[in-house]
Amino acid sequence: MINFIEILIRGLMLGSLYALVGMGLTLVWGVVGIVNIAHGEFVMLGAYLAFWSFSLLHFNPLFSVILAIPIFFFAGITIHKRITERLTKAPELSALILTFGMSILIWNLAQFFWTNTYRSVPYLTGNFPFFGLVFAKSKTISFFLALGITAALFAFLKYSKLGKGIRATSQNSEVALVCGINTIKMRAVTFGMGIALAGAAGAIVSLQWVIFPQMGTTYVSKAFAIVVLGGLGNIQGALAGGLIIGVLESLMTQYWSAKMAQIIPSMTILIILLLRPTGLFKR
Amino acid sequence: MKHSLKRKQVLIGLAILMAFLISVPFFATDYWMTLLVLIFIFTVYASGWNLFSGLTGYTNLGLAWFIGVSGYVSSLLIADYKLLWVFAWPLGALFVSLVSIGVGYILLRIKGVYFAISMVALTEGTRELIGTEYLEPITHGGKGVPFVAGISLPVLYWSILLLAFITVFICYKITSSKFGLRLITIREDEQAAETLGIHTTREKIVAFVMSAFFTGMAGAIHFTYQNYIDPSFGFNIQLTLTPIVMTLFGGVGTVFGPLIGATLFTFIHEILWAELTILYMAIFGAILMILILFFPQGLLGWMKEKGIVPRIRKI
Repeated sequence: MINFIEILIRGLMLGSLYALVGMGLTLVWGVVGIVNIAHGEFVMLGAYLAFWSFSLLHFNPLFSVILAIPIFFFAGITIHKRITERLTKAPELSALILTFGMSILIWNLAQFFWTNTYRSVPYLTGNFPFFGLVFAKSKTISFFLALGITAALFAFLKYSKLGKGIRATSQNSEVALVCGINTIKMRAVTFGMGIALAGAAGAIVSLQWVIFPQMGTTYVSKAFAIVVLGGLGNIQGALAGGLIIGVLESLMTQYWSAKMAQIIPSMTILIILLLRPTGLFKR
Repeated sequence: MKHSLKRKQVLIGLAILMAFLISVPFFATDYWMTLLVLIFIFTVYASGWNLFSGLTGYTNLGLAWFIGVSGYVSSLLIADYKLLWVFAWPLGALFVSLVSIGVGYILLRIKGVYFAISMVALTEGTRELIGTEYLEPITHGGKGVPFVAGISLPVLYWSILLLAFITVFICYKITSSKFGLRLITIREDEQAAETLGIHTTREKIVAFVMSAFFTGMAGAIHFTYQNYIDPSFGFNIQLTLTPIVMTLFGGVGTVFGPLIGATLFTFIHEILWAELTILYMAIFGAILMILILFFPQGLLGWMKEKGIVPRIRKI
């Protein structure tokens, strides 16, 4: 029983990270209308940011997580203004192909400059004992970091003026425009936020796992499963979806096999799309 | 009179081209033959994709599923059951076509981007499934299936040339037909199509299955040519994306777009690969982005817009 609780909590910790990535994707998808296949690549870049600032500048990786947010935010806004804003009116396939091209460009450049050597950030080692359960320090701190960022995100969306504008644009961009909201600015800010979430998640990932140029692909496929689970554009849904996927993966790895656990994202997507295409949670 | 003169010219040109292509094995080097084989394989992939996705507007990101399933059936039949390639290929294609009737019936109710995602999920799921311990006795799991089909390069070349010709011809016939028009109507406005009495689900499934058949057939040939198949090779996302990019190069929804795109793309690929191996993929990604941003309608689409080529459905 104790073992089961430990697995469950570990799943939640894993899920909180997936949720960060998923929330970024669903935010961009819901507000900007773009399916960002390159989303995982920004996770990878965030991890490399943490790695290089740790190895070269001896920055505390936890600081890199905070640092990642403004860096990736501005990067995201720039990318949006130059590239993705042009595709707002275009068919969905165009955005898919564009971001796919961007994904290839980014991870291959990463591979070219930084090689495929596995990197890691051995900063937090050791465990926290907790009433008979044992949790890795890196995963626990990551969990709280992820929760903190999520809370900040929710507070921003709910209470700030910009946040309200973003929500309005996601609900109905034409009406929002008529109400005087600068939807172009909203889309740019949202895209920046989405990329910032991915980058921060990546920096958090650097604390726990190895870093390599192609690591983005596994995050993006889980992010898609999360977006489908939670419902398009639904941030709370993405949070729940992320936690669910994390728990499922933890359970499956323990009770079946790690290989079978890889099928989870695909199976989830297929089942949800067939039974409840709008996602598990109401808007 | 001018119309039939032009038609005659086109047919003569086509006959000369075909005669040339058929005679290639008699004078060309292996390098050129393999290059052409790849061009033809991907022409069929691209045309097969275009037949469904280009006309109905349902972006099928699961082309690799058709290829992998048919490739596995055909390769296993040749490797484990010693079946002749002449029978293995059609059986592979038939198998994937039959299964895709069911898959299409279930998944084609889902629209837009969700459909695209579900096809990717299907491909990834099938790939993982084939690699699991449970199916290993049949599929050889992750170890892959190395095999030799007892077919010479020229015969393989003629087979894929024939398949490519038939595929492009059928695409031409379908796109010019009423059926093609119905598919295009589905793309333009599915609700209006249904209101007009078009049985959209049935039409979509038919196009889907046809796409599966041709793509599957080319897939069987592809893996016979490679003498090997395994889960990541057979269901590789590149097998989905390359034909799509080729079709984009040439012009989505056109008949000859995929053919043009496949040829152009393969040549550019060969040049890039030879000159700039290291950054090849990065440049490919950048080219993709530029293409989508500035030439979304592809070469043929651009030519149609400029009036170089008539803006008719059957081209």
